[in-house]
Amino acid sequence: MAIHDQLLAAVGGRRGGQAADRLCDACVLLFDVDAAAISLVFDGASSGTLGSSGAPARTYDELQFTLGEGPCLDSVSLRTPVLVADLADPDEARWPIYGPALLSHEIRGVFAMPVLVAGEHIGALDLFRAQPGRLEENHLAGAIVAAELAGMPMLDVMNDDLLAAVNDPDSNAWTELHALSRAEVSQATGMLVAQLGVEPADALVRLRAYAYAVGRSSTDVARDILDRRLRLEAD
Amino acid sequence: MPYETRTECEMTETPRETRVLEAVVSLVDSLLYDFDVVDLLTELTERCAHLLDVEAAGLLLVDPLEQLRLLAATSEETHELELFQLQADQGPCVECYSSGQPVSVADLQAEADRWPRFVPAALQAGFASVHAVPLRAAGTVMGALGLFGARTGALSDADLLVGQTLAHVASVAILQEHPPTPFTVMPQLRSALTSRILVEQAKGFLRETLDVSVEQAFQLLRSYARANGEHLTDVARRLMTDRHSRPVLIAAISEFASATPS
Repeated sequence: MAIHDQLLAAVGGRRGGQAADRLCDACVLLFDVDAAAISLVFDGASSGTLGSSGAPARTYDELQFTLGEGPCLDSVSLRTPVLVADLADPDEARWPIYGPALLSHEIRGVFAMPVLVAGEHIGALDLFRAQPGRLEENHLAGAIVAAELAGMPMLDVMNDDLLAAVNDPDSNAWTELHALSRAEVSQATGMLVAQLGVEPADALVRLRAYAYAVGRSSTDVARDILDRRLRLEAD
Repeated sequence: MPYETRTECEMTETPRETRVLEAVVSLVDSLLYDFDVVDLLTELTERCAHLLDVEAAGLLLVDPLEQLRLLAATSEETHELELFQLQADQGPCVECYSSGQPVSVADLQAEADRWPRFVPAALQAGFASVHAVPLRAAGTVMGALGLFGARTGALSDADLLVGQTLAHVASVAILQEHPPTPFTVMPQLRSALTSRILVEQAKGFLRETLDVSVEQAFQLLRSYARANGEHLTDVARRLMTDRHSRPVLIAAISEFASATPS
């Protein structure tokens, strides 16, 4: 079974934080790491851990928000994967506080893949490993697939009201991700940015929430916005 | 003296166009897998010699001290290698490197004064004509591909194009020595797809802000970026993700739109 099928199967029909937890479990199982967490760095204010493979993973992940430095924060600000093969390496000085903190938890390797929503880097999938050393190429590649998929639970939690509405066991996060990356959805997102004075990820959340609320597809709603048949109200 | 210009090769079986494409496809194919840069560029010089009907070809690359050094050649024979080494100081490759322009010398004999040490050595080695095309990247010249013919004669425009094409492939090979892996490819693919998302968003944003169609918005974005020497994606990214510079950018694009009749 291909990696993305395995990851999708792990998520099942779950949404939001539950989906993020399952995705992290799958990462631990598939990518030879000891802990995984998905965290959100959005708009500075609402940063935090969205899902994890367990209590230790959550601890490692939340530490970076307490200390103000770490893989997720770097991955988002640099818009690139962050790969640290060994935190104990004397040349490894990128996190003077977070690095030693993780070492005290006996974590040596840290790998973060950015998570995107509406073209914005809004979070990361963080992988932690007790053994030092690089991750295998195919595990790194798989982690990117997991990070891509993590965009869905991110979108879910960005709108609390939506969580209940989207709890559909038959829904497929991958299919919805594809639909949301269609040109007309991105164009409508851009229009909403101008109309509502919000950032792209928020605009996409609004579009998606409206679509769920009226029981239509995101692409249909996007076309209505583009043709000016529909105008969403500002909050 | 009338030079005979080499044009299409006399061989009848495969048209040269096909053989050139085969060479390019095969070389580019190698770039997408694990490859050794010297090995691949040696093959490139061999194909070059074959396609252009020259005796020998060599790739010279500039080092950090601005000296041309031999990276690969059709022949490992000492006297030919020596000839390529000699070109670090004078000859068509040095001229090509300094000017960034192709150099073609149809008859070496006539250029003894131009390159007093290179010409006798080349004649001695049995060559009668020499040519060079530049290797370029990032707006700079990084070396030259030298071509040595056993007969006199200029390179035709078609020959020159073939030589330049292979020189481009060589440049890419050199800059790409570390072959792509699934992991290095995927961030690039994601980045390309994200660019597209940002451009689509920017189209919608301009549609709303300037009351134009999405098609007009795209043309506007594209011509604005070109007129300002910026990448389309960078303009879109600033528009969509940098809320502080957004008002200034919108004003600039709007002004550009009214100054440019659509």
